[in-house]
Amino acid sequence: MPTGSPWTRRVWLSLAVVFLVLSLFLCLALGSTSISFGRVWDYLVGGAADDPAGVIFWQLRLPRVLLAFIVGACLATAGTILQGLLLNPLTDPYVTGVSSGAALGATIGIVVGLPAVPWLSLLALLGGGLALLLVYALGQRRGHLNIYVLLLAGVTLSQLLSAVISVLMVKAGEDLHALLYWIMGSFSARGWLEVEIALFALPLLAVPLFFARELDILLQGEQRALELGVDVERVKKILLVTAAALTAVAVSVSGIIGFVGLVIPHLARLVVGPRHRKVLALSLVLGAAIMGLSDLAARVAVAPSELPVGIVTTFFGAPLFVYLLRSRRRL
Amino acid sequence: MTSGLAIRPPDAAGEAQLVVDEVTFSYPEHPVLHGVSFAVRHGDFVGVVGPNGSGKSTLLRVIDGLLRPEHGAVLLDGRAVLNHARRDLARRVALVPQQFSLDFDFTALEVVEMGRYCRGEGGARASARRALRTLGVEHLAERLFPRLSGGERQMVVLAQALAQQPEVLLLDEPVSALDVAHQLQFFDCLERLNRGGLTVVCVLHDLNLALQYCRSLLMLADGGVAAWGPADEVLSPRVIGDVYGVSAHLHRHAGQAYLTFSPRPRPERRGRVHLLCGAGTGSLFMRRLTEAGYAVSAGVVNALDTDEVTGREMGLPMAVEAAFCAISDEVHEENAALAAAADVVILTDVPIGPGNLRNLEILRAAVARGTPAWMVAGLAQRDFSGGSAGVELAGVRQFPDGAAMLDELCRRPLPPH
Repeated sequence: MPTGSPWTRRVWLSLAVVFLVLSLFLCLALGSTSISFGRVWDYLVGGAADDPAGVIFWQLRLPRVLLAFIVGACLATAGTILQGLLLNPLTDPYVTGVSSGAALGATIGIVVGLPAVPWLSLLALLGGGLALLLVYALGQRRGHLNIYVLLLAGVTLSQLLSAVISVLMVKAGEDLHALLYWIMGSFSARGWLEVEIALFALPLLAVPLFFARELDILLQGEQRALELGVDVERVKKILLVTAAALTAVAVSVSGIIGFVGLVIPHLARLVVGPRHRKVLALSLVLGAAIMGLSDLAARVAVAPSELPVGIVTTFFGAPLFVYLLRSRRRL
Repeated sequence: MTSGLAIRPPDAAGEAQLVVDEVTFSYPEHPVLHGVSFAVRHGDFVGVVGPNGSGKSTLLRVIDGLLRPEHGAVLLDGRAVLNHARRDLARRVALVPQQFSLDFDFTALEVVEMGRYCRGEGGARASARRALRTLGVEHLAERLFPRLSGGERQMVVLAQALAQQPEVLLLDEPVSALDVAHQLQFFDCLERLNRGGLTVVCVLHDLNLALQYCRSLLMLADGGVAAWGPADEVLSPRVIGDVYGVSAHLHRHAGQAYLTFSPRPRPERRGRVHLLCGAGTGSLFMRRLTEAGYAVSAGVVNALDTDEVTGREMGLPMAVEAAFCAISDEVHEENAALAAAADVVILTDVPIGPGNLRNLEILRAAVARGTPAWMVAGLAQRDFSGGSAGVELAGVRQFPDGAAMLDELCRRPLPPH
């Protein structure tokens, strides 16, 4: 795999954007009702349509596909940030404990029987936010954020909240199916409201791009970054909160979708090298496209039924991660 | 123990660039520095030396504002380093750390560019290249950093620090993992940068490198200043002996001073040995026997003879004749007096000529007194006095070589005479 010259890296980024656009059209075209590429284009430029395919396109498919793309971008970006901050290749967006908090929030919503829209997403956001506050407080000491303590607190909190969720699942009864789908992650029956929630994440996606140099320097360790003049505490806090917020938004609209936030940053680094400006850009693009395609697979693989998208991402992500581990000297 | 050793008071703060004022620092439950004060002038080349755990690296981190002292302050041109934003301080002070790990595939040039962070986005690449060129390692620019050798990496890390364009460069044992060629290459670069006006403060373990390159030295011991001043004054055998607990010997050779070290002589006295030596045959005896706890004297040696230089550096009592002169009556008497006080008198394998023939009289006198008298066998081969040396040496114990003698002396103590 070429990682060397700036020229090849630029080519890879261009290819990634082409891949993104193609994936978008593919996801919009295929499904239980197939729509040709030409019709997709017509619908996109022509606005709302009255024919049945047009209704499916505007009311069901477009919001769902957009949501998948945004969630994929959020998870991949959060994963890139956290892997950089923690210098740990095994880090994914869920280590902060935010996802478990969000999952618990949604689970409570389901068990209590609140209407899914908009309550599940809001409760998930609330749960994720509370989890972040708790973990952050545990990781902080005398103005210094110890990112490893935070990580351990996050992992521990995840375990604890998972246990609570399991208890609720035992009590869930007929809600179990909905719960299971939520926990494994799914874009099923999501609409424009979820897209609107997810749109809050868009500005957050740009934040790490402003800290690309700092993220590069932090790969030499916090100590060295301080020596080189980086305001490490401030950068850490901004990036950590950004990653947690991206994760919380993603989880609140789609549940816990595994492996995208873990594998995509590695894939991006393999292609464009370690510089964060490029890794972040490519992660965002690849995360969006691959999540879209995974959801496509989830929709059509066992049609007319559906798989939770988290199962699809795990099926491709786990072997890919092992491949990356084996083929690369360092991740 | 260390307070009495200050050689020169710190400079007046007026002309100083960097003032370390009464700095005290502790890790939890573990005091490291107490009351460290010194001042560095613009363009100085300062070495910081001292035993392991004496606080050298901690001091460097306090100077770079990375650690906050409990008492005291570090001032840079009169302003406390802790009053600088990190980024502002990085423009003035750069640190080359002891350990540097980066296990990602950045090129050397990209690593150096990171040093430009404190100076903003513009022209980073060009400055990084310039820094590599300054050190003569521009050829490393496109190589992947994790694949560089230790010496090459250290040059790149130095270039990274230079890319900050600092006024003061701090280095924490920058060459301790490098081979001798890379050590010298590294320090020659530092010397060049220093001549260009950069102030250098470098923590070092190798006292000879310190002596060779540093103008001023700060010797730390137990977190305090043991000595501070010009390098050759700080590295006196007395200071080194007090701080490190070893014997140090300062030599000058080919216009350069260098140090050698040996373990402290054992406190117990094993007896007196008098060496009849010269032409470098006695130097090893002097060193080894002193280390073994013997009181060693020597004679008659000529001034500036290798044995005379060694004995003088070690502070041994000696009977010394002027260079190239035959033994005079006066010096002969001195030699006889030293030998008379000895428990054993040794004739090394020094060549015998007319000039030092009288040394043999000393040996005969010892036999006559009943003092053990030893010599290296084969005198006939090194007798250039016309055959007069070999006569009447009965009663002198013969050894095949000097090593056998040393073995015998170091293995068991002499019976008291």
